[in-house]
Amino acid sequence: MHVLIINASPRVKQYSNTDKILGAFTKGLSEEGATFSQYELSDRRSWDEIRNAYYENDNILIAMPLFVECVPGILMEFLETLKSKNDGTKVSFILQGGFYEASQLRCGETYLEMLAKNLGLEYAGTLVKGGNFGIRLAEGEARDKQVEPFKEMGVEFAREGSFFSPKCKAFAGPELFPLPVRIMVGMAFKFAMPSYFTKASKAFGAKKPLNYRPYK
Amino acid sequence: MIVIVNTTSDEAITDTIKQQLAVCKVEAEIIEASNLNIGHCIGCNYCWLKTPGECAVKDDYEEILKKIVHADQLWVISDTALGFINHKGKNIFDRVIPIITMNLCFKKKEMRHVKRYKKNANVGLIFKGEADGDFLNRWMERVALNLGSKSLGAFKESEVKEALSCMC
Repeated sequence: MHVLIINASPRVKQYSNTDKILGAFTKGLSEEGATFSQYELSDRRSWDEIRNAYYENDNILIAMPLFVECVPGILMEFLETLKSKNDGTKVSFILQGGFYEASQLRCGETYLEMLAKNLGLEYAGTLVKGGNFGIRLAEGEARDKQVEPFKEMGVEFAREGSFFSPKCKAFAGPELFPLPVRIMVGMAFKFAMPSYFTKASKAFGAKKPLNYRPYK
Repeated sequence: MIVIVNTTSDEAITDTIKQQLAVCKVEAEIIEASNLNIGHCIGCNYCWLKTPGECAVKDDYEEILKKIVHADQLWVISDTALGFINHKGKNIFDRVIPIITMNLCFKKKEMRHVKRYKKNANVGLIFKGEADGDFLNRWMERVALNLGSKSLGAFKESEVKEALSCMC
């Protein structure tokens, strides 16, 4: 199996969470003997090459972060330049987001199935996973640990050829957190996380508080 | 105040809106954005982490954002593509995230970002071209949830009168 992988994150590869996820995912693919070629939409110089690859490959995987409840604007811009294929080409998606609950990604997932149809491609499922914002803020082993579960999904995808298996569906985690967890996590958001985020913000060179209002 | 961002090149829609808003004396900023320089969100998170509330992409969107923070309603007029709004319309929504902070809270059962300003604009969409109206309405509901505001709905170009009834 050969997979054309398009990283549709607008963030440059070096800082792309989706790229780190794909790093683990493709290890799993390779372990199962599958091959892949990966392109980054953030590099507009490669769009002609990606378009050619889209027409030449029959097994496409588009991975992206959820942007305002659906696909990022840069992905729409790229897709608008493509022609429908209608030749049995398969398309699968990895949809990842910052919020932890799977429910937050379902609207985007619905669109991806519609998108496959609109591009004349055969829909082979979406791997949905939230809770990935921290990849950006982690380094080294801590970061590797966060993305490591995606390796098993790479293995599963190489074996199944789609994301329809129960294992892939379960990978999304809980749709919503139960009430006790919401209370506990809510307390953490209120009392612990703001100082963690402020620390992260200062590391980015911020000179204003996180809730600063520049346009009063 | 209502902010209307027209990302299509069809000014007939905004002409109709302008006339009706004048009749019902509603204050509105109508921005013809189809030829403005508005890029996509690059996902740098600087608006949350480095320069809170300010977008790192310095283009024509900055002036629109300054208006959005004071608006009661934000309407985007967009062409469609592949059953959704096209990239020009989506970019207007993607670039709005400086109005929320990276701090989190639970609202009802889901996590949300804490608002940067006291109130965020309710959001509406007018779309031109083929798209799944039911999906766009669902999507707008989700957008509003995460902005802590309300969806005014997704309306076809032929339903501008219905959209206007939400503005007046």
